[in-house]
Amino acid sequence: MKMMRKILIATAGITLCLALSISPAFARDTVNYRLKWLFNTSVAGDIMADAGGFFKAAGLDVKVKEGGPEKNAIKELELGYADFGVASADQVIRALDKGADVVVLAQLFQINPMQWIYRSELPEIKRLVDLKGRNIGVTFGGNDETIMNTLLAKAGLTYNDVSISSVRFDFTPFLKKKVEIWPVYRNSQGVILEDKLAKEGESVRFFNPADYGVSFVANSVVTSGEVIKKNPERVKAFMTALMAAWEFSMDPANRDEVLAEIKKRDKNTADHIRERQLGVTRLLIKPNAGVKIGTIDRAAWIQTETIMIKEKQVKGPVHVETRLAGF
Amino acid sequence: MLFRRIYQFLIVYVLALAGLMAIKYTVGLSDYVIPGLELIRETAGRVASGYFFDVMNTLSVTVLGQLISIIMAFTVGILGRKSSWVGSFIKVMAYNIQAYPIVALAPIIFILLGDGFLSRLLIASMICYFPLLLSVLGIMAAPITDIEHFYIATGRMRWQLEVKIRAFENLSKLTTVIAGSATLAMAGTIVAEFIAADAGIGYSIRIALYQSDLAGILVALFMIGIIISIYQGMLETLGEQMKTKWSAPKGGELL
Repeated sequence: MKMMRKILIATAGITLCLALSISPAFARDTVNYRLKWLFNTSVAGDIMADAGGFFKAAGLDVKVKEGGPEKNAIKELELGYADFGVASADQVIRALDKGADVVVLAQLFQINPMQWIYRSELPEIKRLVDLKGRNIGVTFGGNDETIMNTLLAKAGLTYNDVSISSVRFDFTPFLKKKVEIWPVYRNSQGVILEDKLAKEGESVRFFNPADYGVSFVANSVVTSGEVIKKNPERVKAFMTALMAAWEFSMDPANRDEVLAEIKKRDKNTADHIRERQLGVTRLLIKPNAGVKIGTIDRAAWIQTETIMIKEKQVKGPVHVETRLAGF
Repeated sequence: MLFRRIYQFLIVYVLALAGLMAIKYTVGLSDYVIPGLELIRETAGRVASGYFFDVMNTLSVTVLGQLISIIMAFTVGILGRKSSWVGSFIKVMAYNIQAYPIVALAPIIFILLGDGFLSRLLIASMICYFPLLLSVLGIMAAPITDIEHFYIATGRMRWQLEVKIRAFENLSKLTTVIAGSATLAMAGTIVAEFIAADAGIGYSIRIALYQSDLAGILVALFMIGIIISIYQGMLETLGEQMKTKWSAPKGGELL
């Protein structure tokens, strides 16, 4: 009994320490910005906002933190470890479904980079029904699974009409032709695979779900309702600086300067790959000169939520459109 | 032994859950960061049966992987017990190889074996194997001087007898190490499933992680904990029985 009491006291102590270590993070002067993924070309604007002095010019002391598979910006917002972050639309919708106070400030990708790559020698996918009989890779649990399910449903196909292969980080099954159609991030892995196959004399095509009416929103800049309420001026200053940096980064005239800054943080990618990645990223972030970077595609967000409800990834409507604040 | 293992696990799990709930309500976190009890209950109702079969699937690979690693560890342990050049080479090789993280070797394994059952089995065996090997090497390399001396002096010592003497004299250590390695084999299988397979609880955890479903992960952890406790409890009971069988009966002679 005494032992039990000691264990309970120790647990309470540890819990209290953890709770205390979380709370003070809410009161800081440095602004923490948590990215969704590692430093690479797809976060060119975020890198430039820091390295190009955009945040500094706005009077902000911003720490741009690299993301990764285990990092979740929305959770960090709630825990007070981040003030702003980048999250995909599905993360935002899931978080809202579970009561998180998350607000979307800008939609970075106007076209979702999540696409599928396949060899040009294979029959071209001109209509969704052309997927029938194909061996398609999907990451179970990932966005691509949700998107592919939607595409198949739209085509009137089921999993019995196609052959689905589970996909992970290793491209070998695609390179060995065991899987025909492979999910990639168009502006990062897509460029690398395209280059790899080109060296073997093979050309590729990309299958973009948006071309078939499935616009599943990708990365967006988010914050919490509390941050907006407490310091709306800071939010405005942060977003103005960040969007200016993205505009600068996506301007072909600044290509060399931007590539040089990316190179400092992404040393393992070859120069020619990085250059092509930047070109593709530009098309996904700013598909044409008339598009303002950060524009929130309201209809696409609503479609994303509808897809997730259909896929039973959320219990019911979260009315994501009410959380698209812009800035 | 079996029941003690189960209720010890339940105490740890309940305390950990209570700690999480305390943090959740103290700081005021949403269900997205730390799921509430109601969400965990609801998730458990939805996924428990599927996760149970996933854990059983993982356990089947674990048992096989552990068996392979025990055989490998004893083979290498027996070969490397001598202080000869070969024995010392095997020992050094075993120590060095264990320094490599299995996750780093995983891509090579996937390329050679594909991402399926064999990769899971190999990674499970490797993670379980090294700690086992070190214990077996240590035991097999330490002479039981007062007993072995007699057989050496009478010229009756053979390698099989030497192994038997050392194993018998360290039976408690060996059974403890083998029972303990069950958790390592399970962890190895889960790691392999997490990065490679299309089945098992590690695969399900990966999917739950993709969807930020912490409630699902907590349910999976419960399933893993309870089933590994039962498995470990069974191994310990088996070890106890073996010790009793091998030990000399009161007032009798050694079998």
